[in-house]
Amino acid sequence: MDVVTPSMNIVLITAFDLPFMARALLVLVVLSLVAGLVGVLVNLRGLEFISDGLTHAVFPGVAIGFVWGGRDGLFVGAMVAALIAAVVLTVIVKRAVTSDAAIAIVFTAMFSVGIIVVSRETNYVGQLDALLFGRLLTVSPAEVNQTVVVCLIALIIVGFTLKEQVFRAFDLEGTAAAGYRPLVLDILLNVAIALVVVAASSAVGNLLVLAVLIVPGAVARLVTNRLWLLFPVAAGFAILAAWVGLVLGYDVSVNGGVDLPSGATVVLVLVSGYVAALIVRLTLDRIAGPRRAAESVAH
Amino acid sequence: MAAASFAYGAVPALTGIDFALLPGQAVALIGPNGSGKSTLLKGILGLITRTDGTVEVLGQWPAPAGYIGYVPQTDQLDPHFPVSLEQVVMMGRYRSLGWWRMPTRADRRAVADALETVGLGNSAKTRFGELSGGQQQRGLLARAVASAPRLLLLDEPFNGLDQVNRDALIETVKRLKQQGVAVLVSTHDLDLARAVCESVLLLNGAQVAFGPRDTVLTLANVQQAFGSVGVEMDEHTIVVPGHGGH
Repeated sequence: MDVVTPSMNIVLITAFDLPFMARALLVLVVLSLVAGLVGVLVNLRGLEFISDGLTHAVFPGVAIGFVWGGRDGLFVGAMVAALIAAVVLTVIVKRAVTSDAAIAIVFTAMFSVGIIVVSRETNYVGQLDALLFGRLLTVSPAEVNQTVVVCLIALIIVGFTLKEQVFRAFDLEGTAAAGYRPLVLDILLNVAIALVVVAASSAVGNLLVLAVLIVPGAVARLVTNRLWLLFPVAAGFAILAAWVGLVLGYDVSVNGGVDLPSGATVVLVLVSGYVAALIVRLTLDRIAGPRRAAESVAH
Repeated sequence: MAAASFAYGAVPALTGIDFALLPGQAVALIGPNGSGKSTLLKGILGLITRTDGTVEVLGQWPAPAGYIGYVPQTDQLDPHFPVSLEQVVMMGRYRSLGWWRMPTRADRRAVADALETVGLGNSAKTRFGELSGGQQQRGLLARAVASAPRLLLLDEPFNGLDQVNRDALIETVKRLKQQGVAVLVSTHDLDLARAVCESVLLLNGAQVAFGPRDTVLTLANVQQAFGSVGVEMDEHTIVVPGHGGH
């Protein structure tokens, strides 16, 4: 049976004739490129928890900015909160004065502050929904520009220090011995993560940013063991998932009559891709496992 | 280095270190587990706080960037990290390359040479985590060699190495010394100390003795460093009762 129907075939391309769909795709493609780069480093460094913390920490900034200055304030608030949080987090982790639990408590508290600020607004549920889950299909051209600029900054920060970041991820003491200052590298990476969180939060929303940051990197690790392939694989996978997710959300909403939120659909496609990659990996390992064992016996 | 002390935070880890190391010479750090051998190496790298005294590396402090080659213990590295041996050795070239710039043909040449030096020329493309412990150790030595260091720090390089890997490592260190590289190596293994080191620094949370190898490595000194009169010493190793041979 042919899964891709003729109407689906057409909609894969034509859906993006609509300006709002094209804008959504552009935002996600830019995010995918950055997430590919930053997300792989998050994976190599095991920074998923820190990223989670940053996402939570940015939320009160988003909320206060929104209440104070509307849609424009949202961006400024997020940026300020993200930069503060990135530096504070780097230092907390470096000093090791607190455990994971302490970090979690601080950021849960900050998230609650954000919720309380938003709850003062009249249209509480609608606003909260937009802040947490984004409004992918209603991003304005101005927001597209903002996202592209912020992503570009993150891209430059990480691109400029990429091989040093990989070195640091592999061998902290070796990096210091070579004369680098790991704290500087850590702050740069955390700032880049924070910028991605900011750039993504208006489009895909505060909660879904995590999926964009973490899933493509994890998928790349399942697909390849070759260092410099990780980055294009992660970016490529994220772009593919964005495209499929947008079309799926559009097609089901327009032709299926079921209103599917686009941001959440993209995330589900990302996660489905991860599950598929995981199953393939485990299957390949199971096939290769006995063979490798037999080879080592033969030697 | 004069009367230097080091600490992790507020916890003093090593005190009263006073020794000198000249180009082309090697010092062995010998002492029981937890005696501060790794601490001293990390102190020289600037990874932990110096609380007292003076340290100079190549006449400067902090140590000038890019002149120290460090070979850590391999069990501190993630064996699943997706990086090939060749890429690990290339990390030794990053500092001289500078930010943003990609490796040149000269860098690749240096990496290939370093791998030949340690006898791993055929394993360049192998994933680092798939190498044996001894090969990983030699790979990290190759990374240090590729960075053309003036001071080489080795942390227990003989741990878990078979004879082939030991011989390859000793040969490489000898060659580097001939090129004027100063070597500081922490070890339990007297074979290594005898093969490459002119001097010995005995440690036990503080400096027990420093001087020419054969003057310092007396049974009395070693028993003092290891805090037990039951310690025995033969040509090759120090035997601590209850721990078996090291």
